[in-house]
Amino acid sequence: MFSPPIDILLIFALTTPLIGWLLERIKKVQLCGVYASIGLMISLWYIYELFGNISSGGAQTFTSFFSSQLRIDMLGIFMATIFVLIGIFASVYSLRYMERDTGVPLFYSLLLLMISGMVGTVFAGDFFTFFVFWEMMCISSYTLVAFRKQRWEPIEAAFKYLIMSSAGSATLLFGMSILYGICGTLNFQGLHMALSNVGSSVWLYVSAIFILIGLGVKSAIVPLHTWLPDAHSAAPSPISAMLSGVVVETGIYAICRVGFTVLTGIEVEWLSVLAILSLVTMFVGNLTPLLQTDLKRLLAYSSIGHIGYMLAGLATGTVLGLTGTLMHIFNHGIMKGAAFLCAGMILYRLETREMKEMAGIGRKMPITAAIFALSLFALTGMPPLNGFISELTIIMATVEANMAWLGIAVIVNSVISAAYYLRTIKALLQPISHKKVEEAKEGPLVMLIPLLIMAALIVVLGIFPDTLINFARSAAIALLGGG
Amino acid sequence: MIETPHYLVFSFTLYMIGIYCLVTKRNMIRLLLGIEILINAANFNFISLASSIPGLIDPLALSIVTVSIGLAASVSAVAVIIIVYAYRHYGTLDVRMLKRLKG
Repeated sequence: MFSPPIDILLIFALTTPLIGWLLERIKKVQLCGVYASIGLMISLWYIYELFGNISSGGAQTFTSFFSSQLRIDMLGIFMATIFVLIGIFASVYSLRYMERDTGVPLFYSLLLLMISGMVGTVFAGDFFTFFVFWEMMCISSYTLVAFRKQRWEPIEAAFKYLIMSSAGSATLLFGMSILYGICGTLNFQGLHMALSNVGSSVWLYVSAIFILIGLGVKSAIVPLHTWLPDAHSAAPSPISAMLSGVVVETGIYAICRVGFTVLTGIEVEWLSVLAILSLVTMFVGNLTPLLQTDLKRLLAYSSIGHIGYMLAGLATGTVLGLTGTLMHIFNHGIMKGAAFLCAGMILYRLETREMKEMAGIGRKMPITAAIFALSLFALTGMPPLNGFISELTIIMATVEANMAWLGIAVIVNSVISAAYYLRTIKALLQPISHKKVEEAKEGPLVMLIPLLIMAALIVVLGIFPDTLINFARSAAIALLGGG
Repeated sequence: MIETPHYLVFSFTLYMIGIYCLVTKRNMIRLLLGIEILINAANFNFISLASSIPGLIDPLALSIVTVSIGLAASVSAVAVIIIVYAYRHYGTLDVRMLKRLKG
C-alpha cells in the first residue's frame, strides 16, 4: 500500500492491541512489546532491501490507490534507518520500563504509529502525503507524552505541546495552501519545476515564512522552543529518547527537503535566516541547562543546543555541510537516546529526576553510569566518540563556506556544554548521601541490552566513521543533486 | 462574482483571528477553538485557490481539504481528552493555572 516498511509498521500498529487483548487473558501482557519489536525489526529489514534497490537503481516512486505518492531516495532511507533503529531500542527498553503502567498494548501501538508516521514523512513524494504522515506522528506523540495521565505533569506538558505544535501544523498547512495557489500542484518534483519557471515572487516569500514557522515549531528552533523541555522531560523515558533523538530531527529533515527542493529560488535568503537562528538556538540551548537541576530537563535543553549545530551545517547549503548535519542527526539520535534511556534507568530505580538526590548512583549502578558518562562525553564532542566526527564535519563545512563565525560558535558551545555535562557526571560519582541510593541496584538486563548496543555504536561510529560518512554523503547528494 | 484577492484577505483575517484567540484567551476550550480556526483558514485558502482558474475546480484541493478536516477532528479529539484530564487534576479550565512547569 505505502511501500513495505510503512505497511509492516502500520499492520503491527493495528494488530498490537488485539495481540495485547489476547495476552491479557493469559496474564502475559508485557509480551506484546516483543511483538512490536519484531515488527520494527522486520521493517528495518525491508528498509535494508530498499536501500539495496535504491543504491543500484536510483529513487523509487510508489503510487497507491489513495493516490498518495511516495518517492523514496537515499535521504529517505537514511532517515528511516535511524528512526526504526532508535524505535527498536526504545521498544525493547520499554519491555521492563513500562511494566508498572496500564494500557501497555496501546503504548506499543502508539509507538509504532509514531514511527510509521515518521517513516512516511521521510518517504513522502508530495507535500500533502508529507502533511498527513506528519500529523500522524504529531497526534501519536501528543498522546504518548500524556501517557501517564494519572500525574499532573505529563498532562500539563502535553497540553502545551499540543497547542504549540498543532498551531505550527496549521501554519504549515496555510503555507502549503499559498504554495498550491502559486503552482497548482503539491508534488515536490512538480513544485521544483514550476517554481524554477515562475521565479521568486512576494507570495513565495510569504509561503516560505509560513512553512518555516510551521516546521520550526516542531524542530524547536529558538523562539518556538518553549514546549520542548516540558514535553521531553514529562514523557516516559523511552518516549523522551524517541522525541529528543528522532522526532525533533524530522523537523530538520523537513526543512532540508522543503528548502532544497521547493525554495531553491530564494535559497540565499532562507539560508542566512537559518544561520542566524542556528546561532541563537545554540546559545539558548547551551546556556539554559547550566541552571537546571532536573536531569531529564537538562538533557531536553541540550537537545535544543544540538538542533543549533544541525542548523549550522544546514545553513552552509553545501554537500559537506549537509553531510555533517545528517551525520549529526544519526549520531545525536544514538547519543541522546542512550543518555535519556540511562536517565530513565536511574528514574526507574530511584523514582527521582533531581540530580542532588541521585548523588553517588554511579557506585551502585556502574554499567548504567558508565554508559551515561560515555554518551555525555560523546554529546560534548570528545575525540574518539561519534559526536566529535559529526561536529568536526559541521565546523569544517562552515569554514569551507566562508561562515567561520558559525563554526567558532559551534566550538564555543561545545565548551559551554562540557560544563553541564561534566557537572552531571560529577553528580553520578559523588559520595552517596541519600538512603534510596544506598539500596539501589543495577538495572534489569532487558533494559541494559539496548544501552550496551548503543554504547558500542557510539564507540564504533567514532573510530570507524567511514561507512556512516559515505551513507550521509550519498543522502546529501540525493537531496542537492536529484532535487 | 467575488475575486480571488477577496478570498485571500478573508483567509488571512481568519488566520489572524486564530492567532489572536491563541494569544489572548485563557480558557482551554477556547484555545482549541483557536487551533480549529487556524486550520479552517488554511482549508478555506485551499478551496478558494482551487477555483482561481475560471471554469475549473481542481479536485486535488477538495480532497486535501476533506482529509485535513479529518486530521483536525483527530487533533481536537486528543485535545479534548487532555483537557478533561487537566480539569480533573486542576479543577479549572483556566490555562493560567497550568504553570507548575518552569525553568
